Amino acid sequence: MDERDIELRNRIYTRFVELGEVPAGDEPGLQRLHDAHALVLDDSGIRMLNPFSVVPTPYVVEAGGRSWFGNCVWDAFGIPAALGVDGHVSATCLDCGETLEADVIDGRPEPDDLVAHFLLPARSWWDDIVFT
Amino acid sequence: MNLFRSEEHTARWLEENGYEPGATMPLRQLCALAVAWWGDRLDPDWRPHTREQNQALLESVGLTGPFWQLP
Repeated sequence: MDERDIELRNRIYTRFVELGEVPAGDEPGLQRLHDAHALVLDDSGIRMLNPFSVVPTPYVVEAGGRSWFGNCVWDAFGIPAALGVDGHVSATCLDCGETLEADVIDGRPEPDDLVAHFLLPARSWWDDIVFT
Repeated sequence: MNLFRSEEHTARWLEENGYEPGATMPLRQLCALAVAWWGDRLDPDWRPHTREQNQALLESVGLTGPFWQLP
Protein backbone atom coordinates (compact mmCIF):
# COMPACT_ATOMS: atom_id res chain seq x y z
CA MET A 1 0.00 0.00 0.00
CA ASP A 2 1.32 3.44 -0.88
CA GLU A 3 0.29 6.75 0.68
CA ARG A 4 -2.47 7.19 -1.89
CA ASP A 5 -3.94 3.80 -0.94
CA ILE A 6 -3.78 4.62 2.77
CA GLU A 7 -5.50 7.96 2.20
CA LEU A 8 -8.29 6.25 0.25
CA ARG A 9 -8.62 3.57 2.91
CA ASN A 10 -8.82 6.13 5.71
CA ARG A 11 -11.39 8.18 3.80
CA ILE A 12 -13.58 5.11 3.25
CA TYR A 13 -13.40 4.10 6.93
CA THR A 14 -14.19 7.62 8.13
CA ARG A 15 -17.18 7.94 5.81
CA PHE A 16 -18.54 4.55 6.86
CA VAL A 17 -18.25 5.33 10.56
CA GLU A 18 -19.70 8.82 10.23
CA LEU A 19 -22.44 8.17 7.67
CA GLY A 20 -22.74 4.41 7.20
CA GLU A 21 -21.91 4.80 3.53
CA VAL A 22 -19.40 3.00 1.34
CA PRO A 23 -18.35 3.81 -2.21
CA ALA A 24 -19.45 1.67 -5.14
CA GLY A 25 -17.33 -1.39 -5.76
CA ASP A 26 -15.88 -0.04 -8.98
CA GLU A 27 -14.21 2.98 -7.37
CA PRO A 28 -10.58 3.09 -8.51
CA GLY A 29 -8.12 1.73 -5.96
CA LEU A 30 -10.46 -0.63 -4.13
CA GLN A 31 -8.95 -3.76 -5.64
CA ARG A 32 -5.50 -2.72 -4.38
CA LEU A 33 -6.92 -2.30 -0.87
CA HIS A 34 -8.59 -5.70 -1.13
CA ASP A 35 -5.33 -7.30 -2.27
CA ALA A 36 -3.55 -5.65 0.69
CA HIS A 37 -6.21 -7.02 3.12
CA ALA A 38 -7.19 -3.44 4.04
CA LEU A 39 -10.83 -4.21 3.16
CA VAL A 40 -12.77 -7.06 1.59
CA LEU A 41 -14.64 -6.88 -1.70
CA ASP A 42 -17.16 -9.35 -3.04
CA ASP A 43 -19.39 -9.35 -6.12
CA SER A 44 -21.65 -6.70 -4.56
CA GLY A 45 -18.88 -4.28 -3.61
CA ILE A 46 -17.30 -3.62 -0.22
CA ARG A 47 -18.28 -6.38 2.20
CA MET A 48 -15.90 -5.85 5.10
CA LEU A 49 -14.13 -2.86 6.58
CA ASN A 50 -12.68 -4.97 9.36
CA PRO A 51 -13.70 -5.07 12.10
CA PHE A 52 -16.94 -3.67 10.65
CA SER A 53 -19.19 -5.65 8.34
CA VAL A 54 -20.96 -3.61 5.68
CA VAL A 55 -23.63 -6.32 5.37
CA PRO A 56 -25.84 -7.70 8.18
CA THR A 57 -24.41 -10.60 10.17
CA PRO A 58 -25.41 -12.51 13.35
CA TYR A 59 -22.89 -10.42 15.32
CA VAL A 60 -24.72 -7.27 16.38
CA VAL A 61 -22.85 -4.56 18.26
CA GLU A 62 -24.23 -1.53 20.05
CA ALA A 63 -21.52 1.06 20.48
CA GLY A 64 -21.20 4.81 20.29
CA GLY A 65 -24.97 5.25 20.09
CA ARG A 66 -25.27 3.15 16.94
CA SER A 67 -25.77 -0.43 15.84
CA TRP A 68 -23.05 -2.20 13.86
CA PHE A 69 -22.38 -5.64 12.50
CA GLY A 70 -19.17 -7.56 13.11
CA ASN A 71 -17.80 -10.12 10.65
CA CYS A 72 -17.15 -12.62 13.43
CA VAL A 73 -16.80 -12.69 17.19
CA TRP A 74 -13.27 -11.27 17.03
CA ASP A 75 -14.40 -8.38 14.88
CA ALA A 76 -17.55 -7.83 16.96
CA PHE A 77 -15.51 -7.19 20.08
CA GLY A 78 -13.11 -5.14 17.96
CA ILE A 79 -15.77 -2.56 17.09
CA PRO A 80 -15.93 -0.95 20.56
CA ALA A 81 -12.13 -1.14 20.59
CA ALA A 82 -11.84 0.65 17.24
CA LEU A 83 -14.38 3.28 18.28
CA GLY A 84 -12.74 3.71 21.68
CA VAL A 85 -16.00 3.25 23.56
CA ASP A 86 -17.81 0.67 25.66
CA GLY A 87 -20.32 -1.52 23.87
CA HIS A 88 -22.66 -4.47 23.85
CA VAL A 89 -22.33 -7.57 21.66
CA SER A 90 -25.07 -10.06 20.89
CA ALA A 91 -24.70 -13.25 18.92
CA THR A 92 -26.12 -16.75 18.72
CA CYS A 93 -24.48 -19.91 20.03
CA LEU A 94 -24.10 -22.06 16.90
CA ASP A 95 -24.67 -25.19 18.99
CA CYS A 96 -27.80 -24.45 20.99
CA GLY A 97 -29.19 -21.35 19.31
CA GLU A 98 -29.23 -19.39 22.54
CA THR A 99 -28.75 -15.65 22.22
CA LEU A 100 -25.45 -14.74 23.85
CA GLU A 101 -24.87 -11.23 25.11
CA ALA A 102 -21.95 -9.45 26.68
CA ASP A 103 -21.13 -5.88 27.59
CA VAL A 104 -17.67 -4.54 26.86
CA ILE A 105 -16.50 -2.16 29.58
CA ASP A 106 -13.00 -0.72 29.36
CA GLY A 107 -12.07 -3.49 26.95
CA ARG A 108 -13.25 -6.29 29.21
CA PRO A 109 -16.33 -8.49 28.75
CA GLU A 110 -19.10 -8.81 31.28
CA PRO A 111 -20.07 -11.58 31.79
CA ASP A 112 -16.87 -13.35 30.76
CA ASP A 113 -17.99 -16.98 30.92
CA LEU A 114 -18.50 -17.36 27.15
CA VAL A 115 -15.86 -18.80 24.81
CA ALA A 116 -14.61 -17.99 21.33
CA HIS A 117 -13.50 -20.64 18.88
CA PHE A 118 -11.08 -20.18 15.98
CA LEU A 119 -11.66 -22.96 13.47
CA LEU A 120 -8.69 -22.17 11.22
CA PRO A 121 -5.04 -21.59 12.08
CA ALA A 122 -3.61 -18.13 11.51
CA ARG A 123 -1.76 -19.18 8.36
CA SER A 124 -5.12 -19.91 6.66
CA TRP A 125 -7.23 -16.90 7.74
CA TRP A 126 -6.95 -15.10 4.41
CA ASP A 127 -7.37 -18.20 2.22
CA ASP A 128 -11.14 -17.59 2.39
CA ILE A 129 -11.77 -14.63 4.68
CA VAL A 130 -15.56 -14.84 4.44
CA PHE A 131 -15.49 -18.46 5.72
CA THR A 132 -12.88 -17.55 8.32
CA MET B 1 -14.36 -17.16 14.60
CA ASN B 2 -17.52 -17.91 16.53
CA LEU B 3 -18.99 -17.39 19.97
CA PHE B 4 -20.29 -20.29 22.05
CA ARG B 5 -22.01 -20.75 25.39
CA SER B 6 -19.18 -22.97 26.66
CA GLU B 7 -16.42 -25.36 25.62
CA GLU B 8 -18.96 -28.19 25.80
CA HIS B 9 -21.18 -26.42 23.25
CA THR B 10 -18.15 -25.77 21.04
CA ALA B 11 -17.10 -29.43 21.09
CA ARG B 12 -20.60 -30.62 20.27
CA TRP B 13 -20.94 -28.21 17.32
CA LEU B 14 -17.55 -29.24 15.94
CA GLU B 15 -18.38 -32.93 16.16
CA GLU B 16 -21.86 -32.57 14.66
CA ASN B 17 -20.47 -30.58 11.73
CA GLY B 18 -17.43 -32.74 11.12
CA TYR B 19 -14.85 -30.06 11.89
CA GLU B 20 -11.50 -30.66 13.51
CA PRO B 21 -11.12 -28.54 16.65
CA GLY B 22 -9.18 -25.32 16.19
CA ALA B 23 -8.48 -23.14 19.21
CA THR B 24 -10.87 -22.12 21.98
CA MET B 25 -10.24 -19.18 24.27
CA PRO B 26 -12.11 -17.45 27.08
CA LEU B 27 -13.97 -14.30 26.13
CA ARG B 28 -11.64 -12.21 28.27
CA GLN B 29 -8.67 -13.25 26.12
CA LEU B 30 -10.65 -12.68 22.92
CA CYS B 31 -11.47 -9.15 24.08
CA ALA B 32 -7.83 -8.48 24.85
CA LEU B 33 -6.96 -9.66 21.35
CA ALA B 34 -9.67 -7.46 19.84
CA VAL B 35 -8.36 -4.37 21.64
CA ALA B 36 -4.78 -5.09 20.59
CA TRP B 37 -5.62 -5.97 16.97
CA TRP B 38 -8.37 -3.48 16.11
CA GLY B 39 -7.78 -0.60 18.51
CA ASP B 40 -5.96 1.57 15.97
CA ARG B 41 -8.20 1.04 12.93
CA LEU B 42 -9.79 4.48 13.07
CA ASP B 43 -6.68 6.39 14.08
CA PRO B 44 -6.00 9.29 11.66
CA ASP B 45 -2.38 8.17 11.36
CA TRP B 46 -3.22 4.48 10.86
CA ARG B 47 -0.67 2.45 8.95
CA PRO B 48 -0.87 -1.20 7.86
CA HIS B 49 0.53 -3.62 10.41
CA THR B 50 3.48 -5.67 9.34
CA ARG B 51 3.38 -9.43 9.78
CA GLU B 52 5.86 -9.05 12.62
CA GLN B 53 3.66 -6.47 14.35
CA ASN B 54 0.63 -8.73 14.06
CA GLN B 55 2.56 -11.74 15.33
CA ALA B 56 3.68 -9.67 18.32
CA LEU B 57 0.07 -8.67 19.01
CA LEU B 58 -0.97 -12.33 19.11
CA GLU B 59 1.91 -13.15 21.43
CA SER B 60 1.06 -10.18 23.67
CA VAL B 61 -2.23 -11.83 24.61
CA GLY B 62 -0.71 -15.28 25.06
CA LEU B 63 -1.42 -16.75 21.62
CA THR B 64 1.73 -18.64 20.72
CA GLY B 65 2.60 -21.90 19.01
CA PRO B 66 2.08 -23.26 15.49
CA PHE B 67 -1.69 -22.56 15.36
CA TRP B 68 -1.03 -18.83 15.76
CA GLN B 69 1.84 -18.50 13.30
CA LEU B 70 0.93 -16.01 10.58
CA PRO B 71 2.01 -16.76 7.00
